[in-house]
Amino acid sequence: MASLPQLLEEDIKQLDAALDDLLVKSEASAGLIIDKGGFLITQRGDFQSFDTTSLAALAAASYAATQYIAGIVSETSFNFVYQQGLNFSLLVQNVDEHCLLLVIFKANASVGAVKYFATAIISQVAEQLRVARERDPSASLDLSLLNIADPSALFQKKNH
Amino acid sequence: MAIINQATKELQIKIVYYGPALCGKTTNLVQVHANVQTANPEGKGKLVSLATSSDRTLFFDFLPIEAMAIKGFKTKFQLYTVPGQVIYNTTRQLVLRGVDGIVFVADSQYDKMAENVESLANLEDNLKSLKLNLADIPYVLQYNKRDIPDVAPIEYMEYLLNNRDVQVPSFSACAHKCEGVFETLNMITRLLLNKFINEAGRKSA
Repeated sequence: MASLPQLLEEDIKQLDAALDDLLVKSEASAGLIIDKGGFLITQRGDFQSFDTTSLAALAAASYAATQYIAGIVSETSFNFVYQQGLNFSLLVQNVDEHCLLLVIFKANASVGAVKYFATAIISQVAEQLRVARERDPSASLDLSLLNIADPSALFQKKNH
Repeated sequence: MAIINQATKELQIKIVYYGPALCGKTTNLVQVHANVQTANPEGKGKLVSLATSSDRTLFFDFLPIEAMAIKGFKTKFQLYTVPGQVIYNTTRQLVLRGVDGIVFVADSQYDKMAENVESLANLEDNLKSLKLNLADIPYVLQYNKRDIPDVAPIEYMEYLLNNRDVQVPSFSACAHKCEGVFETLNMITRLLLNKFINEAGRKSA
């Protein structure tokens, strides 16, 4: 299945190492790598209080909307989205055609520093994702583990 | 496009509920959220709705849920709706990005048939703008609001919406009573998983 991206343990290790490096240097709270379709790929840092699944979906949608806005004002692209809050701020930065980097940091931290260190890991993250996409999926993809015991009832309704 | 994470043994799949305005797309997600059984509390996420003050979908609704009965892999489905109103076409294109499967919800009322047909054509156009083809994507039809008087016969809706070389599964539903909601969801997830397994099998053969 050439079009189905799969991430192996080595990919996640590399991505997590890049995120850890970013968090140490920028003193950000959490870093997430997300697919532009809204999937969360991996996350590091202190994200216990955040619903990161929803965060990934919303950030991907927000970034996509921003790209449309860029087109309307005749820009080819806005490469990052920054949201400033009272307690936390967010930076969403483009990684490549398919993925984004989302950084959550304390509102009193410098967005310039976060952006500088985020930009520094972008190429490393993009390269690892490229390796994952170009890997021959038939070499290690084994969906036989997806043992569908009863496909007619993957989702069951509660009995009231 | 779905993502397989071999490190965490997770498969993530995106399903989009599409259809004309007020056909019941959000109601489907609300009913799934309210009634789905999950093996653990983390198996069902929050239902996120980006709606206007009058409860019309502005951007999308989003519900992450984990399927039961799949061993070996955590299979996470992300359910999205699109805004049905004609003016929000750009938003519909954004939500369709990375779609794996589609539930087309049609309104069964006679006077909504033109809107159903227009919305299905709009879906095909929007997929084309993403270089996708409806014929290549697993999808199912749901004929909603069957409990309202003066609905069109199923055969007529099949003729209008399912009149293709390969017919897709279709379900009658009264989404606000949760009738047909789980049948529809189970069918699209089944089609998707079969597609992944078949394609993986072909690759490794």
